[in-house]
Amino acid sequence: MSRLPQLIVYGIISGSIISLGGIGVSLTYSILGFSNFAHGDIMALGAYICFGVFVLFTGLGIGNTPIGPLSFGFSFVLSFVSALALTALATVVIDRILFKRLRKAGSIILMMASIGLALGLRNILQFFWGPQPHYYIEKIQVASVIPGLGIRIKPDQIFIIITTVALVVLVHCFLQYTKMGKAMRASADNIALARVTGINTDRVILWTWVIGGALAATAGILTGIENKFITPELGWQMLLSVFAAVILGGLGNPYGAILGGMIIGLSEEVSTAFISTGYKPAVAFAIMIIMLLVKPTGLLGRRK
Amino acid sequence: MPTLEGSMSLLTVDEITGGYGDMEVLHEVSVELDTGEIVTVIGPNGAGKSTLMKTIFGLLQPTGGEIRFDGKSITGLAPDKIVRLGMAYVPQVENVFPSLTAQENLEMGAFILSHNYSDRIDDIYELFPLLKARRRQRVGKMSGGERQMVAMGRALMLNPKLILLDEPSAALAPNLAAMIFDRIAAINQTGVAILIVEQNAKESLKLSDRGYVLAGGRNRFEDTGKNLLMNKEIGELYLGG
Amino acid sequence: MEHVVGAINYIVFFAITAGTYGILSLGLNIQWGFAGLFNIGIAGFYALGAYTAALISGPPPSAWDGRMVAGYELPFLVGLLAAAVVCGIAALLIGIPTLRLRAEYLAIASIGIAEIIRLVLKNESWLTNGVWGLQQIPSPLYKTIRGGVTALLEAHPDWPPWAYDLISKSYNWFYLLLVIVVLFVLYLVMQRLVRSPWGRVIKAIREDEDVAAMSGKNTFSFKIQALVLGAMIMGIGGSLYAHYARFISPSSFKPLYGTFLVWVMLILGGSGNNKGAVLGSFVVWGIWAGTDFLTGYLPFTASQAAALRIIFIGILLEVVLLWRPQGLLQRERRLPKFLRSDADKK
Repeated sequence: MSRLPQLIVYGIISGSIISLGGIGVSLTYSILGFSNFAHGDIMALGAYICFGVFVLFTGLGIGNTPIGPLSFGFSFVLSFVSALALTALATVVIDRILFKRLRKAGSIILMMASIGLALGLRNILQFFWGPQPHYYIEKIQVASVIPGLGIRIKPDQIFIIITTVALVVLVHCFLQYTKMGKAMRASADNIALARVTGINTDRVILWTWVIGGALAATAGILTGIENKFITPELGWQMLLSVFAAVILGGLGNPYGAILGGMIIGLSEEVSTAFISTGYKPAVAFAIMIIMLLVKPTGLLGRRK
Repeated sequence: MPTLEGSMSLLTVDEITGGYGDMEVLHEVSVELDTGEIVTVIGPNGAGKSTLMKTIFGLLQPTGGEIRFDGKSITGLAPDKIVRLGMAYVPQVENVFPSLTAQENLEMGAFILSHNYSDRIDDIYELFPLLKARRRQRVGKMSGGERQMVAMGRALMLNPKLILLDEPSAALAPNLAAMIFDRIAAINQTGVAILIVEQNAKESLKLSDRGYVLAGGRNRFEDTGKNLLMNKEIGELYLGG
Repeated sequence: MEHVVGAINYIVFFAITAGTYGILSLGLNIQWGFAGLFNIGIAGFYALGAYTAALISGPPPSAWDGRMVAGYELPFLVGLLAAAVVCGIAALLIGIPTLRLRAEYLAIASIGIAEIIRLVLKNESWLTNGVWGLQQIPSPLYKTIRGGVTALLEAHPDWPPWAYDLISKSYNWFYLLLVIVVLFVLYLVMQRLVRSPWGRVIKAIREDEDVAAMSGKNTFSFKIQALVLGAMIMGIGGSLYAHYARFISPSSFKPLYGTFLVWVMLILGGSGNNKGAVLGSFVVWGIWAGTDFLTGYLPFTASQAAALRIIFIGILLEVVLLWRPQGLLQRERRLPKFLRSDADKK
């Protein structure tokens, strides 16, 4: 029990990453009408693109002297940002090739296609990089102790939390105060009406994939920073937690995804005080099943 | 508003046949509407009134016939193109964005505009003063009458020449329905032509210049609003309730 | 001649595995093809069925096992039944919270339960022997047939070596026959079910649940039945696998891969079609095995070859979904109604 504050810290970190993954899933669901089971593997794709670009930049001689107390430097940050853009682009391309042609088909066909995509992406990563872990950061970082609270936290972990908060605020402002953001919220309510109103729904869909892809890549890269390494299975391992979070918060509601993500992250980490860490996904699963039995529309429920 | 002698029709629906996929609902239906007119289409349930409206707005493809709007043929055109030509459509149900505020709903109506349209929003609030007070309220929490006003306001944002209203008073209590019809008359005063499909035929015909009776997907009657109201036969068959 | 014998032995092995997958496809066909339920946890049910059969029919824990319980050495059929029952219960567990809701909820719950099953199999060594797996699972009639074969071979020492190779593997012929019989029986039962009143209700629910509900049917109860029945058949498939492989471990059931293959089999063959399910399983297994051979000739590492094969099957699925979603055996060009967009259904 004395470990509780520390576990809560881990929970916040884990929850942040799950939330970032969940926002994309909720947006895709509400605007495009289906659950994208490839989302986890898009996270992995983002993580590997970052790695690949990082290797490239290092080869080009761009320095990576650690910024302040963080364990990575300029070239990694550059790779991070590039990976967001490239993953967003890849996600849009995937939509053009695959999902766009299936828009007239039912949501089940789209989900099935996303499963095929999930496996395909994962194995493409495995084909090029192999199943063994690849390391972002070689050195082990020293954790600072925060006195009084009795917890230890590393600068990298603070970076993760700050990045998540910044992105969440950005997404919130985008959805609430920009024209496209409002159009996205309108399309999430009723995409047929949006079309009839004159909203350019193709552009709305484009932005949905861009934001979803970029957030997924961020979640993947942050996972790599937290764990130090990445494997092709990275995304699939998180998929259950991400979907449990989204269902908990209310499928289709990006704010629900954030709330659900934090709850799932905290629950998973705190549970390790009582049960083995191997069963963290079981905790997410149990919470999700309970939610489905009690209030299927989720905590911040949407009618859909 | 009466039409000018010799002016071209704003909307001409010429022997339209069509429906949903394989199911034919409309059989050579014709409707005409002049600039600034209010025209109501009445008829029993299943007569094809809503189908007609959706076909005019491009949500359904006709299998035969022609539709001309403001001099151009719009048969088979997609809704987002028709919107740009100056026609707006208010569906019967699900006609607002519930999680957006009233103001945001109006803003969505003006999505394709790139210039400042705050004047237009002020105009809409003048038409619907009740909405102005509630403009920051989420539409999902509003009453049926308020939502209908938001839906109509949204449709008016682009200054359409013609607005299609699909059963605007459905599911509204009589006093609210009366308010809606009052607002419809006010909208018409600003020069917008209105095509209404209605079950509550009496109220609608009262403010209509002309009316059509549709039954079984075909034209049955056409006359001025007043005449249709006074026509006993029509009254029994179609205006009951 | 040796090559011919080798080929024949391989074909037998191939057919047994394809046949087992065929049973899984039939099970999925009830859930998906008839009832329109989206279950992505097939691998979980398969593993659950295999482990249940192994624990019921297998030997008690040995001194070296981490396992401490089970192993009742009960007959093959008891194990088979137990596998079906346990899978049925697991299906109930995920069906009850999700079948009143949209399709994705069952999908996610099925991913979840497959994952939980995998974790339990890996971690609860006291029950499952963890990563070391279960050994010495007895095959039905093995001793009898081996005895007969040995006696036959000893009586004819003059037969050529290839005859020895052929006949000494003849237990597998028996097992193939067993699998085919089970597959055929299940196929017949499924065909009867399709045409029965129960089958008609299930299909009506799939086409338009609201309409079916209006005619007074408890659609939820029917969907549960379809889910459970399908899961039980998958359990039977699992038990057949366990008794053939005679050794199972958590790594025999890679998460999602088995599930994915079965889905592609069913989609390719034709959803809602029992013949399609069986055809699809043989075709896709053929492609799967074929790519195994092909990638052997290409200059890739083992993990690259494995990845390439999955990518290939993935592309195959997407191609089928894009250009012939009704599958090979469906005669209609249009998608069956239940696969079409919800908007189209109005």
